Amino acid sequence: MKIENTKAQMRKGVLEYCILSVLKDDDAYVAEILDTLKNAKLLVVEGTIYPLLTRLKNAGLLNYRWEESTSGPPRKYYGLTETGKLFLNELTITWSELQNAVNIVTSQKNKDNE
Amino acid sequence: MNKTVNINLAGIFFHIDEDAYLKLQRYLEAIKRSFTDSQGRSEIIADIEARIAELFNERVKNDRQVISIKEVDAVITIMGQPEDYLVDDEIFEDEPTPSYSKKSSTNKKLFRDTDNSYIGGVSSGLAHYFGIDTIWIRLAWVLLIFGAGTGILLYILLWILVPEAKTTAEKIMMTGAPVNISNIEKKIKDGFETVTETVGDVAKNVSSSVSDAVKHVDFEKQGNKIKSTSKGFFDTIGNIIMFFFKVFAKFIGVILILVGATSLIALIVGLFSVGAVNFIHIPGLDMIDVVNSGNTPVWLVSLLAFLTAGIPLFFIFYLGLKILINNLKSIGNIAKYSLFGLWIMSIIGLFIIGIRQASEHAFNESVVEKNELYITKNDTLKIKMIGSDLYRKNKYGHRDSFKVIKDDNGNKSIYRSDVRIIVKSTTDTIGSISIEKSADGRDHDKARERAKNINYSYQINRNELLLDSYLTTSVDNKFSDQEIIVYLNLPEGIIANFYKNTKSYLNYYSKSGNIVQQKYANRYIKILEDDIECLNCPIEDDENDFELKVNTPKVKINEDGIEIKADDTSLKIDNNGLKAKAEDVKVNIDANGINIETD
Repeated sequence: MKIENTKAQMRKGVLEYCILSVLKDDDAYVAEILDTLKNAKLLVVEGTIYPLLTRLKNAGLLNYRWEESTSGPPRKYYGLTETGKLFLNELTITWSELQNAVNIVTSQKNKDNE
Repeated sequence: MNKTVNINLAGIFFHIDEDAYLKLQRYLEAIKRSFTDSQGRSEIIADIEARIAELFNERVKNDRQVISIKEVDAVITIMGQPEDYLVDDEIFEDEPTPSYSKKSSTNKKLFRDTDNSYIGGVSSGLAHYFGIDTIWIRLAWVLLIFGAGTGILLYILLWILVPEAKTTAEKIMMTGAPVNISNIEKKIKDGFETVTETVGDVAKNVSSSVSDAVKHVDFEKQGNKIKSTSKGFFDTIGNIIMFFFKVFAKFIGVILILVGATSLIALIVGLFSVGAVNFIHIPGLDMIDVVNSGNTPVWLVSLLAFLTAGIPLFFIFYLGLKILINNLKSIGNIAKYSLFGLWIMSIIGLFIIGIRQASEHAFNESVVEKNELYITKNDTLKIKMIGSDLYRKNKYGHRDSFKVIKDDNGNKSIYRSDVRIIVKSTTDTIGSISIEKSADGRDHDKARERAKNINYSYQINRNELLLDSYLTTSVDNKFSDQEIIVYLNLPEGIIANFYKNTKSYLNYYSKSGNIVQQKYANRYIKILEDDIECLNCPIEDDENDFELKVNTPKVKINEDGIEIKADDTSLKIDNNGLKAKAEDVKVNIDANGINIETD
């Protein structure tokens, strides 16, 4: 088992959740989503996001609209659908539970080590 | 200086260097292969193209600037390698496949390389794995097979256990090269160039290697696990059956190759050793020249024989290769038909030569030389065989042996020991000796000429007749069944002594008027009219001799005689004579005469 794999695995696992979170308040086009994710160092290369977005859209969690751009091709602005919002809420709950659980387990380990 | 290309990327116009354009094209193609249609491939590609256009746009300062390979590289760095697009598929994998992560992909994995396989691709797979040439692995297998067949067992085990490299990614992994765009793309290109047929497969492989995981997950999700496992089970049985068929076929292929190759090699060696007779002198091989009475060039005969036997062997060899190597290139119909034609022609050629050779023996002619034998009644004639000074001196009894011998001057001649002696009686007062020489030829004249060319001699020393035990003739006359028959006409009343070395030259039976058979060799015999009398032969035991002994009160038969007694009558025969006794009469026959007594 390689550490890189596990790391990538962990990051990728929360990627969908993060994408939905980025779009929670406002619609955004891909570059904006990418900027946010890359700033958070959740994403190394951009290619990863396209299949994800398509899949979320196909699952009915996202929809998009076209907007003209002053510099470059027209942009796809993604937004959450109603289902997407419900989905996001579910994930948020799951995430905080998971975060808690991980915290408890890891701090427990730390105590043991001390 | 660089050529530029105009492209339209997501509706935006770009000038791009040609090399940069090619790289971008390959990149997009590789990404395209990473997705299936069900994943929304065209949409994803459109999104990616739009993003790339955007990134280019950021880098282009004005309309006249050209996109170079530097910009393309930068964009690829941002977008990531094709395998980075696989992200979501892997999430559901229990065990992340290391091949999809860039760093671990430098690790080699053992796969069977069926693209370069003879049997199951185990050897080439191992060769990739150990980074050595396949031939060494194959040699090792051959050695192991001789090592009590452990190689075969091991091979079959590996064949079953080691997975086949099916997808492009696996094939790349097998060689240990990192799985990245340039390698995948190179592999795909190779596929295009070598076998067009498989291109579809390869292309499918790339995308399926990517989407396999997803499909697998889908199966499980839909609860189709049972279906898939049962399908797998029957697939396995099918595979096992196919496997044995393959092993059997390959085995036959190997045998065919071995048989074909070894016989071909043997034939070629044979061809050269016979064909080279004229250049290199090999003892014994000059026989061929002598037997070849049709005067056909030896090289032609051997060439025709080589073709007649060699062409079918070549096809056997080729068939074996074809079984072993699936994608063996055909030798082409022209080659096949011309080989076949050549084969037919050489058969016809051999046939003609055979007929010519046979016709050389079509006619048999003989010439007879007759001489008088001065021998008169009551003389004793001794007959002896004399061997050749050059060959097998003092060895007798090898009838029909046939050799090419050389005299002291190096002249070659044919030596043969087909000499027969036929003895007849004559009423003349002097005897005669006739030498009949006979030989074969394609016509009467030729046969007669060859018969005349036979050298045979005899000597008469007083009452001793010395016969050559062999005939010789020039090599030019070829072997044409040369024979010598010595007719001895001996006057009745003389005594002949056939020396013991004549035994095998005499006839066993008394056919064609022969009166002296083998058994009389080394005996003194008297010539009678159409018969002989052996003077010192041991008395022949009567073959029908048997001992009879009867010893009853009334009848006695033994070595002494016969004695029969009845009530009043008796009969006795013994050394003393015959005694018969009846009731009133006695008859005695003995040295004294016949004496009859009555009471």
